[in-house]
Amino acid sequence: MKLTRRWLLEHWMGDWEARSIGRRLTQAGLEVASVTRLDQGLERVEVGCLLEVKQHPEADRLTVCRVDVGAEQLTIVCGARNHRVGDRVAVAREGAVLPNGMKIAISSIRGQRSEGMLASEAELGLAEASEGILILPPDQVPGTSLAPILGRDDDLFELELTPNRGDCLGVRGIARELAALSGIPLRPLQPQVAVTDATSAEIMIEHGHGCPRYVGRVIRGLAMQPSPAWLQHRLEAVGLRSINAVVDVTNYILLDLNHPMHAFDLAQLVMPLCVRGAFPGETLTLLNGTICKLVPEDVLIADARRPLALAGIMGGMETGVTEATTDLFLEVAYFSPTTVTRSGRRHGINSDSRYRFERGVDPEGLVLAMERATELILELCGGRAGPITVADAGTWTPRSPVPLRHERVNRLGGIDLTQADMETVLEHLGCEKRVLQGQICFQPPSHRHDLAQEEDLLEEIVRVHGYDNVTRVLPRIETRPMENDARSHLFSQSTRKMVAMGYLETINYSFVSKALQHRFDPERAAEELVNPISEDMAVLRTSLAPGLLEAARRNLSRANLSLRLFEVGRVFLRSDTALEEKEHLAGLVTGELHPHAWYARSRAVDFFDLKGDLEHLALSQGCMDLVFSPGGPEFLHPGQKALFQTRSHPRPVGWIGMLHPDHQRLLDPSQAVFLFELDMDELRACRSIPDRSEVTLSRFPSLERDFAFMVDDELGAGPFMDAVAGTDPGLIQAVRLFDVYRGDALPAGKKSFAINVVFRAPDRTLTDQEAQELCHRIVETAQRLFGARQR
Amino acid sequence: MRKQLEELQARALEEVQRATSVAGLEELRVRILGKKGMLTQLLRGLKEVSDAERPELGMLANQLKEGFNAALTARMGDLHHLELQQRLALERIDVTLPGRRPHGGGRHPISRALSEIEDIFLQMGFPAVSGPEVESDWHNFGALNIPPDHPAREMHDTFYLAADSQGGARVLRTHTSPVQIRVMESRQPPLRVIAPGKVYRCDSDLTHTPMFHQVEGFMVDRDVHFGHLMGVMETFLRRFFERQLPVRFRPSFFPFTEPSTEVDMGCLFCEGSGCRICKGSGWIEVLGAGLIHPNVLANVGIDKEIYSGFAFGLGVERMAMLKYGIGDLRTLYENDVRFLSLHARGEGV
Repeated sequence: MKLTRRWLLEHWMGDWEARSIGRRLTQAGLEVASVTRLDQGLERVEVGCLLEVKQHPEADRLTVCRVDVGAEQLTIVCGARNHRVGDRVAVAREGAVLPNGMKIAISSIRGQRSEGMLASEAELGLAEASEGILILPPDQVPGTSLAPILGRDDDLFELELTPNRGDCLGVRGIARELAALSGIPLRPLQPQVAVTDATSAEIMIEHGHGCPRYVGRVIRGLAMQPSPAWLQHRLEAVGLRSINAVVDVTNYILLDLNHPMHAFDLAQLVMPLCVRGAFPGETLTLLNGTICKLVPEDVLIADARRPLALAGIMGGMETGVTEATTDLFLEVAYFSPTTVTRSGRRHGINSDSRYRFERGVDPEGLVLAMERATELILELCGGRAGPITVADAGTWTPRSPVPLRHERVNRLGGIDLTQADMETVLEHLGCEKRVLQGQICFQPPSHRHDLAQEEDLLEEIVRVHGYDNVTRVLPRIETRPMENDARSHLFSQSTRKMVAMGYLETINYSFVSKALQHRFDPERAAEELVNPISEDMAVLRTSLAPGLLEAARRNLSRANLSLRLFEVGRVFLRSDTALEEKEHLAGLVTGELHPHAWYARSRAVDFFDLKGDLEHLALSQGCMDLVFSPGGPEFLHPGQKALFQTRSHPRPVGWIGMLHPDHQRLLDPSQAVFLFELDMDELRACRSIPDRSEVTLSRFPSLERDFAFMVDDELGAGPFMDAVAGTDPGLIQAVRLFDVYRGDALPAGKKSFAINVVFRAPDRTLTDQEAQELCHRIVETAQRLFGARQR
Repeated sequence: MRKQLEELQARALEEVQRATSVAGLEELRVRILGKKGMLTQLLRGLKEVSDAERPELGMLANQLKEGFNAALTARMGDLHHLELQQRLALERIDVTLPGRRPHGGGRHPISRALSEIEDIFLQMGFPAVSGPEVESDWHNFGALNIPPDHPAREMHDTFYLAADSQGGARVLRTHTSPVQIRVMESRQPPLRVIAPGKVYRCDSDLTHTPMFHQVEGFMVDRDVHFGHLMGVMETFLRRFFERQLPVRFRPSFFPFTEPSTEVDMGCLFCEGSGCRICKGSGWIEVLGAGLIHPNVLANVGIDKEIYSGFAFGLGVERMAMLKYGIGDLRTLYENDVRFLSLHARGEGV
């Protein structure tokens, strides 16, 4: 919503500075986004009169002009060809900085002194492009400032209005608000129209729900004109193009009084007119060329032959006014917000008219708007006005009075106003006080569709009283201890652990491309967005892996080659009946373990770097016995992937592995990537902290023995070590694998595990004999379970 | 014999001074004072000395012994010191070599901002709860007083999903406000919570990403009023930004609050004098809030004659960008490790 200060002052008796007006409106909830001077860049531009135009002695295309600017005469070199002696022109004087940034100084052009510039419309910011210099009307006085002549000695306000304040979408609405806020009254608006033509419009409302009220009038015998300067300037100032006087007046009334109007060419329609629902299959070509296939829910203005306009949205092409129009039918109506919203949405048409009807125009303001529009048209184009026809479907009734409890308003508003103070505020806003059954009530004005209950009045009172006048206090609360929910605690704990292990947290979009999703989870049907923003973001992710890999890809392509990334976020798993949102955690490593470090041999990260971090994370969350077994998703290397769970909690917690070389090729540059993903709820379920009070730390010395076993190459170290530890859980304190050997010293298909075993009893010093016995049993167990031979 | 003793004394002392190692000194001690040492052997001759000479010679021998020992000890100390100096010189390292640092991890700025916000509100008695990101149309709009044709829906560019198995419309939540509804549906006042999380809008340009983060918060109790909302917001903002900034409340409109307010904070960068960040106004818009709309209370069956409440919603991206000095929204979702590392520095975990 745009308007200028002078326009506003035509409706309001105040004379505040633009900044004061802006501040007061913003404080009251009508946000003024900007206030700008319209004459910016025109400060040193004046009217000049050409006294002499001579050919430049040194240049064919230039003229040297003597220009009268009132107090003095200037010599100016000019490159245009459209100027003659006697013309009134726009002279940019020395020191001017024009709207296009051009700085004017006294200069010499091909040896001729030039003391300014004769400006074009483009240079003055009045048009995108222009030919020749601006020639002003001959009655302009040399030496006067140009800005007032163009209606630019004014301030432009740009307002960002909230959807509830449809009543402020016209200049008079803003003035009315300002009057209520300042106590300075509105100027009366009393258009004078003499009815001199007997032709009356005939209107029937069939669709009372879509159109509660419709007001029409015929104007005959007018002569189409361009708009006068003041009207053109006013429309241009707020960004509208002038078309002709009739169309400009309807636009002006929309901007001024917040009533969208439509002018039909009377010759193109046949009375009576009907406001009705569309017939099935009916079509209408709108003014902007859109062809609408109408449905019965669309409300139309139609005559007996055809539809003429889509109610509240746009008129039809065939019945609009043209330069040849002499007789008009003028419309101003109250169409219901719902009908207009739905039709507009259905046909995808936005218009200033739709915007205002959606937010609700004043059903009681129709006749005044019609009179004002008629007054202007008659003034600009002549013609004879017929009587006003008002069709009322009886479907709009004023809001019932809203009760107001003075005490409650103070209590909820955190304010302390008297009953009289509140009444003054509401009456200034146009509410009428009533007493119904002993209860004080206020009847809201017909333009305020948003005032329906006590809280609405409360808001008005606090708003006008000023939010700055509300005392800011902290509520008193119980001292009950508070906790975030348990899951969020786990998330933040896990996040902290990952960070401590040197991982950088990423946040990736919850949606991925269908193709990527399919590549990483071909078994599952992902939830699709009906209206995705792009192909790349079409389905909800079922795994964090694609996002994390995308983050890795982007980093690798930017030459960030050593990465440790993680994410905690939701995945969306669809089943037949429901969509489950699960919190996952995923980690990714790639590149050098210690990039360019003087203290370490250069080495690429591998599976076990990541696995160690994963085990560490699990332990820190109280998950004591993570078990890994070969297996996992298809996009991982078949020989380097595992699923994990715990013994105490047999459901899978997640997977870990190396990205399959086929997928790795998508990365740029291609390098080995390792990643894991786990379900946070499952991890939480794995929590199995032993009762620490039952653990005693033995005071007796430990014994260590080393073993080397030859086993089959396929045997996993995990089960082997578990079996060794299980030989005597009471006395074996630790089993540590310190070497895995394959090579010439062993037969084909065999490898060697070298392990260190720690024995310790809680209650005594173990004897050599006991240790010997344990060693024996370990060798025997390994032999029995795995065919292992001690080396 | 006297002469022999004197010669030995001179020689022993000289050798002490000539010794170059602790081990050499030890060997010298044994050579002089040991069982087969030179002094020991010399003293065996005392038996043959006359009674008159013996005391004097004995004294001389003792002097020799003490003098030698003292010299030995002193020289031993010197040599110890010398050897230590040599060792220390050998063990010198370049202390300017970089240390073996663990990998530098870090939280994402959004995640860090969320934690800071959660901590402040928890301290003020507002614990965090969560809700689904795929929401019913009712929880996201209807219950929040945004009926299907309401112009306010135009302010939300909604991502839609296919209807659920019962035919109910589903959306990606456009704000965290539906959690407010879920909490009020399932619990009785007094209520105080915040709901942090991801939200989605169908919008992507320089200043919008299709996914972003919000924190919704609300309180319902007896006699909660507008001044309470202002007090809580002002306290929170000053705590979060660690500055005693002015906080301004401007009337605004949200369908689910009334009265509604937009909350502005004095510009962090120019302290109110006007700059590029605040577009010259001296104020930065940071959040929206208001008293919970009576229609919303009615939708969840809370009696507005007994209870009242306030609610607020803030954009985490904006808060993080302002606090941590991030200029470009989109860098938050590029996950460039240089950016992430930069923002992890000096921020603990």
